[in-house]
Amino acid sequence: MPTIYAGLGLSAEKHLLTAAQEAVHQAKINLQNKKVDLALVFSSIELSNSILLKTISVYLEGAPVIGCSSAAILTTQGIMKQGIAVLLLNFPEGVYFNTACVKDVASKGTLGSGQELGEKLLYGFRDIRRDLSIIFLDGMMKEASNFVNGMQQRLGTSFPLVGASASDDMRFVKSSLHFNQEAFSDGACGVLFGGKLSYGLGVKHGWQPLGKPRQVTSSRGNIVYEIDGKVASKLYEEYFAYSLAELKNELKRISVLYPIGIYLEGEKEYLLRNILSVQYDGSLVFQGEVPESSEIRLMIGTKESALEATHQALQEAKNNLIGKNIIFVLVFDSISRYILLGRNAYRELEIFKKELQPAVPVIGLYTFGEQAPLTAINYRGRAYFHNQTITVLAIGG
Amino acid sequence: MLEIIVVVTSVLVALALAIVVANKMEAIRRRDTEITSLKKSLDEMDEQAKLIVRTDMELNKTQEALDKKVGGLYALQKIAKTMSTTLEENQIFKVLNAEHLKELGFEKACLFLWNAAERKFVPCLSIGYFADEITQIESDLTSKNQKYLDLIQNNRATSSFSLSDHFLTKSELLQTYKVNSFIIAPIVPKEGNKGFLVAGTENVDTAITEGDEELITIFANQISQSLENARLFEKTWRAQQGLEQKVEERTRELRMALEEVKLVSRRKTDFISAVSHELRTPLTSIKGYASILLTGKLGDLPEEIHARLEKINRHSDELAHLVNDLLDIARIESGKMVMKKEEQDLNKIVDQVGDLLSVQFKDRKINFIVDIASDAHIISADYSQINRVFINIIGNALKFTPPNGKITVSSRKKDGQVQIDISDTGCGIPEEARQAIFDEFYRVDNTINQELKGTGLGLSLVKHIVEAHGGKIWVTSKIGEGSTFSFSLP
Repeated sequence: MPTIYAGLGLSAEKHLLTAAQEAVHQAKINLQNKKVDLALVFSSIELSNSILLKTISVYLEGAPVIGCSSAAILTTQGIMKQGIAVLLLNFPEGVYFNTACVKDVASKGTLGSGQELGEKLLYGFRDIRRDLSIIFLDGMMKEASNFVNGMQQRLGTSFPLVGASASDDMRFVKSSLHFNQEAFSDGACGVLFGGKLSYGLGVKHGWQPLGKPRQVTSSRGNIVYEIDGKVASKLYEEYFAYSLAELKNELKRISVLYPIGIYLEGEKEYLLRNILSVQYDGSLVFQGEVPESSEIRLMIGTKESALEATHQALQEAKNNLIGKNIIFVLVFDSISRYILLGRNAYRELEIFKKELQPAVPVIGLYTFGEQAPLTAINYRGRAYFHNQTITVLAIGG
Repeated sequence: MLEIIVVVTSVLVALALAIVVANKMEAIRRRDTEITSLKKSLDEMDEQAKLIVRTDMELNKTQEALDKKVGGLYALQKIAKTMSTTLEENQIFKVLNAEHLKELGFEKACLFLWNAAERKFVPCLSIGYFADEITQIESDLTSKNQKYLDLIQNNRATSSFSLSDHFLTKSELLQTYKVNSFIIAPIVPKEGNKGFLVAGTENVDTAITEGDEELITIFANQISQSLENARLFEKTWRAQQGLEQKVEERTRELRMALEEVKLVSRRKTDFISAVSHELRTPLTSIKGYASILLTGKLGDLPEEIHARLEKINRHSDELAHLVNDLLDIARIESGKMVMKKEEQDLNKIVDQVGDLLSVQFKDRKINFIVDIASDAHIISADYSQINRVFINIIGNALKFTPPNGKITVSSRKKDGQVQIDISDTGCGIPEEARQAIFDEFYRVDNTINQELKGTGLGLSLVKHIVEAHGGKIWVTSKIGEGSTFSFSLP
């Protein structure tokens, strides 16, 4: 029976050309020298540039490339803070895909850019059943939820859309996207699959609600002005007994450890939102949209709950692939979880190692945001922009 | 009647309504109470949540600090391991890189060492700075040398977290090192130039803590220790190199001296050999003529001339003996004399020598004892030459042993060789003369030697013969008690 082939190659070399050569060479061997149909390329931010991608493109003889920069690359061989990872894929007949990118999102607007990427990905997909879309967004993109909405307006909501917001070396300054021979910011790239692709998806965050429910009484987009009729920052000031100035000082830590969770009717999990900044008037700027009138809770996470979420997400993905072999696993893991786990980050790897066959390549990114349905089991046709989650996408064959 | 019914019904309805309203009011009141109670519980729960969140925050901070410290210590251990592999001062700075610094939580660092001769701080390490930035820092330090020297003298780190009043201001330092937070730690190796290390970060979110200061101080101490080791190694290495050079020079000088000595010795041997040969011809003639004259074949000689001729003949014999000894020594030294080694029985040799000297033993009442071990009586030697060895040594013993004394010849096996000891009960040899007695023409300065004649070649010849056999000769002696000449033969 025709199947998908995947070959993973890694390199921790600091020199661009050597790193590209080493990783591609290794990946090609692991692909058993089959034709490269698509390459996923992830790297640390300092290696993420067009020279790297041009070199890789030469070695891959022009095969399409998508990917992005990441604070670290997670594989079953370890967590690599510096280096590159190349996943080469060979698809059997009956699996179709198309790659595309969009640039200058800031000037074009997120909704329009999302629509543009959706339209580009649809090219050639008129009579083919769409299965799955994987996208990579600039981690600095504002209103990423709008981008996802724009994409789904064009692609439809009959299949899941999963994605990752690229990250840098935890400076939160600049991220980079990889598309064919180019590395760029302020944009997005992605791939749309169709035909006979088997996959399993698991999405979890592991944060739990704490304290009484609150209501967003005034908000616009990703800015929340009032909660329960009070200045939004009061929520955190009261919980932590901080002044506004103290809150600003501790914002980075609070943003990671204590996001807010938006209650969604009929959904089991809360949709998490990190605070990006506190404005002078006490309004809170979140990384994703927080609708007015929504019910929110302060959320709390622990290392154990985060690890349990990893386990659950992987199980969900595996459950969707019962009876199939897992060919490779893509993981989009929130940078917040990486920070929360700290030195225990390797324990996530242990989960993957324990639950998967040793030969199954696992490649993961630490992201500034994730795009995925809220729950993977009962997919309800809507992708959300998440914070703090782990998305596990297992491709079967 | 109808009116009464209407009134009663109305009253009943009103009563029923009143009851319903009262019940509803009661239910509302109860619900209000429940709501108030629930609200109160919720508020209490929220207050508890606040406590949980605050405690959790503190725990996370502690955990973070602990993780940072553990990470830092792990990084320090890694750095120490890397640095310990190098013993070259410049190499120490080369092995430190941005990755090490990042693991310690910083991205910029520079290290300056004080050059006392030039009276300035010299940059030795720079991470995260461009060359022109380091030049700028270097020139900036010129006017502040004394402040930094005081810091080094006090051997205490300072930082943007705990800046001392006596040092430079925070803004001055931030401007110099172009960072938002920094730690300056002295580098104080016991020997050589001292200096300071600056570790900094541009990250506005990174606040320097006491733990960071401790970590960088340990890091600076590690660098100091490595510098100290490298300098000590350099010093030892140089001393060793000097020593090796001196040994080499001395060896060369000695080799040259030895060559010279060999040359002189060869010339001396050649000279002695030539002179001896030249002497032997006229000596033979002199002795020959003296012998002919003494026979009286050429006519009778007056008594006085006869006596003089006797003297000439005797002295000619002595001279011939001396010349022969000299020639033998020269031959052995030059390797011209080949020892015809054959198995010899020591008993036989010693008996023959005993017979030869028996008259003297008897005259002087010397007890001659032979003690040849049964397992050490066969030697491999040139018969005539080894005979000369015994004659010389026993003859000497006889000369220096007073009447009623004792001369013992013994042999034994030792270390696979045969050792022969010839002991006497003579006057003994002074310690300072024990080595020299084997030199040519050396004679111990004592009364016996002053009375008895000797060439001073006997023991020298003995030594040459023993060595030509591959053996060794030595003497042990005690003044007034006697001497033992020992030699070993393979």
